[in-house]
Amino acid sequence: MPQPASSINADKSTAPLLIACLVMMLVSLYLIFVWAPTERSMGIVQRIFYFHVSSAFTAFLAFVIGGVAGILYLIKRDHRYDDLSVACNEAGLIFAVVNLITGSLWAKPVWGVSWAWDARLTTMLLLALIYAGYLILRQSISEPSQRAVACAVVSIFGMVDIPIVYMANRWWRTQHPAPVILGGDGSGLHPDMRVALAVATVAMFTLLWCLVRARRRLEQTRRETEALRREVMILEVSGTVSWKKT
Amino acid sequence: MEENLKWLWYAFSAAWILHILYLWSLSVREKRLRQQLRDLKSLLEDREGRAEGD
Repeated sequence: MPQPASSINADKSTAPLLIACLVMMLVSLYLIFVWAPTERSMGIVQRIFYFHVSSAFTAFLAFVIGGVAGILYLIKRDHRYDDLSVACNEAGLIFAVVNLITGSLWAKPVWGVSWAWDARLTTMLLLALIYAGYLILRQSISEPSQRAVACAVVSIFGMVDIPIVYMANRWWRTQHPAPVILGGDGSGLHPDMRVALAVATVAMFTLLWCLVRARRRLEQTRRETEALRREVMILEVSGTVSWKKT
Repeated sequence: MEENLKWLWYAFSAAWILHILYLWSLSVREKRLRQQLRDLKSLLEDREGRAEGD
């Protein structure tokens, strides 16, 4: 059941959420650039890691919520789940693209090349392409229920790729650095770096929350516009029919 | 060091520019839809008013 857009705009939690997001971002920037120690072998360029990894975690979270919302839509056929799913998937794609770009910009000075077709990078690119396809599919189907069903299926399919991306540098030998979190013996981060990464991830989650809320509101307005357009079309058709009868 | 700083700057700028562009696109799409909604509402009111007049 679409909600009127005015009721969503009246939500009073938007301003505190935006302030919380801004504060988290500022704290995160301080921790990344001032507080966290400089890595010995890579130097200052290693600080890209905090945005790169936190963007990947945020994209994964967004795609999982989008996929679960897709499943719930298929079960309950409630358009609010479809709204949540598209909001999470679109915002998640932005974080995935940020992850890919920051990764390439880190790789150029460290590896000497911006891109390598290794398992981690390729599966992440594939994940981003699945969600780009999801958005194209969404544009190409005009009937709301058909669109929601098709997109829910793609959303679930995309979600399945997440564990493959996460495990890629554990399952296969890759050029991508070995995992530093839950990576087993010999892996790990300096405690200060771990704090900086944790705060950066929370800051990104807060940003995701803001983006998802804004995108959901947009989807609800679009749904309201579509419903009204249909109503106008029905009136147009009924007007034409009565004119033809006379 | 200088060379690496350049890549760090590029990465952080790219991340922020992407997020800002996305927020801007959301705002543009929202404005466009609200305008369409207003136009449709006034069209509907106009049609309903005309139907009552007939």
